[in-house]
Amino acid sequence: MSPIIDIENVTIEYPGNGARVLALDGATLRVDAGETVGLVGESGSGKTTLGLLAGRLLPRSARVTGGQLRIDGQDVLALDDQRLRALRRECLGYIPQDPVAALDPTMRIGRQLELVLHGLPSDTASLRHHLDSVQISEPDRVLRLFPHEISGGMAQRVMIAMAMARTPRLLVADEPTASLDSHVRTEVTKLIFNLAAKAGATVLWLSHDLRSVSRWCERVVVMYGGKVMEDGPAAQVLRHPTHPYTIALAASDPARAEPGQRIGTRPFDPAASGTEMPSAKLAVGGGR
Amino acid sequence: MRILRWLPGRLFSAVIVLLGASLLIFAAGRSLPGDYANTVLGPLSSEEARVELRESFGFDRSLPEQYVLWLRNALEGDFGLSLASQRPVREEIASRLPITALLAAMGMVLTIAIGVPLGVYAGCHVADGRRSAATRIVSTIGISLPEFVVGSVVVFLFSHFDFGLTVGTFVSPAEDFGAGIVSLLLPALVMAIPCIAATARATRNAVIDVLVEPHIAAAIARGETPGFIIRHHVLRNALIPVLTLTAIIMAYLLGGAIIVERVFNVPGLGSYLVLALGRRDYPVIQAVVLLTTAIFVLMSLLVDILTGIIDPRVAVTKAGPGA
Repeated sequence: MSPIIDIENVTIEYPGNGARVLALDGATLRVDAGETVGLVGESGSGKTTLGLLAGRLLPRSARVTGGQLRIDGQDVLALDDQRLRALRRECLGYIPQDPVAALDPTMRIGRQLELVLHGLPSDTASLRHHLDSVQISEPDRVLRLFPHEISGGMAQRVMIAMAMARTPRLLVADEPTASLDSHVRTEVTKLIFNLAAKAGATVLWLSHDLRSVSRWCERVVVMYGGKVMEDGPAAQVLRHPTHPYTIALAASDPARAEPGQRIGTRPFDPAASGTEMPSAKLAVGGGR
Repeated sequence: MRILRWLPGRLFSAVIVLLGASLLIFAAGRSLPGDYANTVLGPLSSEEARVELRESFGFDRSLPEQYVLWLRNALEGDFGLSLASQRPVREEIASRLPITALLAAMGMVLTIAIGVPLGVYAGCHVADGRRSAATRIVSTIGISLPEFVVGSVVVFLFSHFDFGLTVGTFVSPAEDFGAGIVSLLLPALVMAIPCIAATARATRNAVIDVLVEPHIAAAIARGETPGFIIRHHVLRNALIPVLTLTAIIMAYLLGGAIIVERVFNVPGLGSYLVLALGRRDYPVIQAVVLLTTAIFVLMSLLVDILTGIIDPRVAVTKAGPGA
């Protein structure tokens, strides 16, 4: 069986201030169908770039300067527009960080869901069914509301319903609970993983929170400076981190603290760690 | 209905605006230099004849009295007699208003039909630097050209060369609607040019702003086609700032009629106003300006209602935070 994600030594550049910035610096990742993978890293580590790369959704300024990329067996970088759209529509599902902003502010939820479903049955009963499946208790009322009239948690459930509507093979969730109230985070997270498991979808979960990721994902991939630093079963990566960056990340985890112990943020210093580390945003080359 | 939450307040403020405008119009009309009796009877007339004339038109009463009288009659549709022609102002306006209204409506239709698609096209092709710069230059020229210049050039060109349309020959739409429309086509186009340019630019900017919104990125990630995204998500969102502009354009078109009607010799409200100004014909001046103001206030009210329908967040912002 071919892997659903096959990223091989990919390098991506953004034009920066006078210098180019490497968003990915030889990143390599293989994910088999049905896996749940947590991609962990701080801002600028390249995890969002990697997530967007799966659907070739990078900003126009980004340039792929090296490497290979296959999603569900298709060479994404070589696809024409039509086939790329088909891949996004049929194979991928994205769950955004800010669900309210990801909904069209001028349109009722029902109408937006209807547009997403074009080609599939989109009568009121089906719309209701899609909202039922993400545990929205009053679907008829919600269908008539505008995005500014619903809570963040509700909006994220709607986005999940939209992402799952065509039973995607790969679900990419970029910090999907970051903008939500803490009490709905667990519910929403559980919902995403349950639905993905039911649909047999692979989950790529992007986060900077190592602990919550290792709770939900079988496998954890740690990124730093546009490279994959560590990759393995969640429990193992959390308990026995081998890479200095992961050690620093795991050490700042409140769950590992002894009662009464002060949690040190223990800043990670690549230079002091003795290993050769790329800086998070590596500037290469001269100005243009 | 969400609109009912803010519409009463908006209606009330429209009435206040109209009242304020009527006061200003009345004051401005009365502060024009020159005495009517003098203008009509000539400098050699007797003082008794002048006093008699002023009395017969009510000019001897106090100014507040004159204002209240004028406003009350105006509300009943009675704008008095034209000082110059001695005919009811209402009749004179009734024959001219439809022409100016048609001219402004044609200008509006041209503005929206040309300006919006141009703006959407320019907004969607911003990445193409050369095309983007071209639209910007053309729209800047379009906005800056005064209409008496464009109008004169058009009149010159169309009277010297045969382009199929004639200038200066006005056909009343009441007699022959088709020919009337054709005769108004050039003046409407001249009036519409700066409006088309302004609308195209506003639409372009609105489209650019909408295209970077996360909900567009979400639609792209779902694999929707560019045409689908523009039709369903970009147009509606981009229309909100453009709609606000249409109210201003409406005012511009009504005001622009004054110049264009003169240049193209169209017997509408604008050329009537210029005539009346020259004759110190107060009742006519006041009636025309008041009417134009009322149309504008009504139009902006209509635009507000349309914005409220297109943008569901309007009711929220009008109600203020925490409401």
